[in-house]
Amino acid sequence: MEIGYRSTALHERARAFVSAFERGEPSAESMDALACDIARFQADVIEGYARLCRARRMDPASFSSASDIVAVPTDAFKLTRVAAFAHTAIVFRTSGTTQGPQMRGEHAIRDVATYDAAAVAFGRHWLVRDLTPSKIPVLVLAPSPEEVPDSSLIHMCQLFAEAFGHPASRDETFLVRDGIIDLSTFDARVAIAMAQKEPVLLLGTSFAYVHFLDALGDASFALPRGSRVMQTGGYKGKSREVPADALRRELARVLSIDERAIVAEYGMTELSSQFYERSLFDSAAPDRFQVDASSRRPARSGPEQPAAALRTAPQPPTMKSRQIESGIKGVFAEPPWARVVPVDPETLAPVEDGTIGIAKIIDAMNVDSAVAVLTQDRVRRVPGGFELLGRAPGAPPRGCSIAIDELLGRTSNCE
Amino acid sequence: MKRSAENRAADVRRIVLAARDVAASRDAIMDEIIRSSGLSREGVELAFEKHLELFPEDAEIASLVAAAGDAERVAVILSANVFVGALRALAIARAASADVVVRPSKRDPAFARALVRAAALRGDSSLQLDEDLDVAAIHRGQIHVYGRDETIAAVAAKSHVPVVGHGSGMGIAWISHRADFDAAAAALANDVVAFDQRGCLSPRIALVEGDDTCATSFGGTLHEALERLGRVVPRGFVPAAERADSERYVSTMTYAGKALVGSAHVVAIAPSSSPLVLPPSYRHVHVTSSANAGAATGRIAHLSRAIVAVGSDDIDSARRLAPSWARLSKLGWMQRPPFDGPVDHRVSMSASV
Repeated sequence: MEIGYRSTALHERARAFVSAFERGEPSAESMDALACDIARFQADVIEGYARLCRARRMDPASFSSASDIVAVPTDAFKLTRVAAFAHTAIVFRTSGTTQGPQMRGEHAIRDVATYDAAAVAFGRHWLVRDLTPSKIPVLVLAPSPEEVPDSSLIHMCQLFAEAFGHPASRDETFLVRDGIIDLSTFDARVAIAMAQKEPVLLLGTSFAYVHFLDALGDASFALPRGSRVMQTGGYKGKSREVPADALRRELARVLSIDERAIVAEYGMTELSSQFYERSLFDSAAPDRFQVDASSRRPARSGPEQPAAALRTAPQPPTMKSRQIESGIKGVFAEPPWARVVPVDPETLAPVEDGTIGIAKIIDAMNVDSAVAVLTQDRVRRVPGGFELLGRAPGAPPRGCSIAIDELLGRTSNCE
Repeated sequence: MKRSAENRAADVRRIVLAARDVAASRDAIMDEIIRSSGLSREGVELAFEKHLELFPEDAEIASLVAAAGDAERVAVILSANVFVGALRALAIARAASADVVVRPSKRDPAFARALVRAAALRGDSSLQLDEDLDVAAIHRGQIHVYGRDETIAAVAAKSHVPVVGHGSGMGIAWISHRADFDAAAAALANDVVAFDQRGCLSPRIALVEGDDTCATSFGGTLHEALERLGRVVPRGFVPAAERADSERYVSTMTYAGKALVGSAHVVAIAPSSSPLVLPPSYRHVHVTSSANAGAATGRIAHLSRAIVAVGSDDIDSARRLAPSWARLSKLGWMQRPPFDGPVDHRVSMSASV
C-alpha cells in the first residue's frame, strides 16, 4: 500500500478518535489497535525505527498492546529526522535553550490537522468545558507565532485563542514582544472582561509567569471571577526558578484566583498530544488540593475599576470556592488517544502502578513521527492519571569525567 | 621563610616515593579500592601499573613545582576521583606549601589515606589528614578542591580563602586520514578502558577524518579492540543510573545511526550530519567523521570548554582542533600525562571573601 495512503488512513482513524471524544462517545476502535497499526506503519517506512525494533528483538507485527510498542528516545529528535516523509507541513522545534542551538530537537508534522484537532479537543475539556458562552478572552504570556514560528506551544496557544477566544488581534492576544510583557494591553483586556463579567483564560510558561510576577512586584492584579490559568514548561534558565507550589501560590494571590484555577499542562515538542492537571475539574475524584486561605488576597472586583491600575490596596476577596469543582492537584489526565506508561529506565519494561518510572508516552496523534516516545521525565501512575515528578537526573558523576547534565545543564524536555 | 624550588622538588619526590611504597604494598588496600572505586581488580591493577606516576622526570617535577604557586597553607579537598589522582593533587599542594591538610573523598578514601601515611613514614610531617575538614573554618592559605563545577562553587561560596578548582572534563580523539585504524583503535581502547573511562582525560568522542564510511570502519575496529581489551581488563561495576544512561544512549544511537554493543562497552557511529553528543562514561565511545581538522573544530565548539585532552595519531593535525588549554598526546597516552602540574590546564583561581 502506498505510504501516503497509509498515512492518510491512519490520520483519519486518529481524528475519528478525537471526534468520538468530543461527542462524548466511545471510539470505534481501541487505542491499542490504532497505536499498534501506527507503529507498524512507522517501522515499515522509517529505517531508524525499524532498526530500533530489530535491536530490541521486537517484531512490530507482534504488537498487540500500546505498551508493547518500542519507544523512540526524545534525544533521537535532536540527532536525526524522526519522520515518515521528506516533506512536512510544519516543523516544531525545541527551544534549544538548555542544550544550545545546535541541539534543537525537531518534530516534523505532515498533517497538522490531526495535531490541531487533538489539542483543541483536550484543551477545551480541561480548561474551558464549563463555560457558557464558550468564547472568552484568551491572553497568552508568550510571543506571537510570527515571532516564534516553530514553537509547538505557541502554535497550541494560537489554536486555543482561535477556538476558545473572542476575536482579537495578535497584539491583543500574545502579550510578549521582544521579550517584554505588555502589561498595559493585559490590563486593558482584563478590565473589559471585568466590565463584561467574563472570565479570562491566561496561557503561559512558568518562566513567563515569573517575569510577570516580578514585573508586578507587590501589586495584585485580580482576574475576573471564573478565570483560569494554564501553566506549562520549565524555566530553562530564562528566569529565576521558583518551586512549582510557590509559583502557584503566588499566581493565585496576585491574580486573586483559587489555586485550583491554575492548571498545569504537560506537553513536549516531540508529542502531538498534551496532558492536563486535574486541578480545575474532577468532581469524581477526591480533593487532594491544599488551599492556603491566607494566600487569598485582594481582588479587583468591578467594572468601575480603572483599566491601567495595578492594585496594591486591600479589597475583599471575590473568588468563591464553589466556582471551582474539586480538583486534583498534581494528577495529570490523559486523552483517550494517548497513554503515559512509567517504565524502568534500564529495562524499559513497564513498572507497577504506584511505582516511579520514566515516562514512555504512547501518542496516537504522532502518526508520521514516533507513536511511542521515551522521555526523561519521572512519572507515577495514580488513580485518575499520572503524577509528574520532574526530570530524571543524569547519572551522577563517579569520577572526574564530565557528566552529560553537567556539560549541558539539561532540564526538562517540556515545552 | 620561603622555600626554594629545590626544597619543593624534594618534597614532591618524597611523596612520589611514598606512592611507590603504597603501590608496592597495594594488596593491603586492594579490596577497599575495588569496593569504593567500582573498578575491577584488573582495572585497579592497571591503574597502579600504568597510570600512577611513580617515576617522573626531574624536568616534570620542576615544571610541577613552577606551576604550583606558593601558599602559606593548602587544604586539599579530594572528590571520589580517579583514585590515583590523589598523588598529583598532593604533590601540587606540597609543592605550593610546607603546610598541607587533606580531606579525602568519603566515598573513595583508601589511596589518599595510604599515601599520606606512607609520606609520614618517609618523614613528611607537613602533610596531614583531616577527614572532617570544615571549609568555613579555614582562614589562611588556599583551598585546592577537586570535583564537579557545583562542588567547586559550593566550596568557594563557603570559603574565606582563595580556592583553586579542578573541575571535571573529558577527552576526545582525532583519528587522522593517515591513521592505521588497527593501531589507532588498539591505542584508543587503552585510553578508554583506564578507570572505566571516568577520568577527566578519558576520551568519549572519536572524530575520524574523512566521510561516514571512515567513521563506520574505524568504529567497527574500535569495537573489536574494546572487546579484546575488555577480556583482559574487565569493566567494573556499573551503577543503575549509568546502566539507564547507557540504555538510552544505545536506543538513541540505534535510531539515529549505529550502535555496536559489546560485552562491556558501546561504540556508536553517528552520521557527520548530526550534532555531536556526549555519550555516557563507562566505556562508551561516540564515533563520527569530519572532513578535516578545521571542520572538526566547528563540530566540537559547543563542547570545547569541557575538553581537557585531545589524543591523536597526528599531533600536528590535532593541534588545529584542540582548545588551547587541552593536553595533546598520542593515542594510548591520553591517560598518562606528564607529571608536570595539574592534568587540567583550565585550572583557575577564584578569590572568595
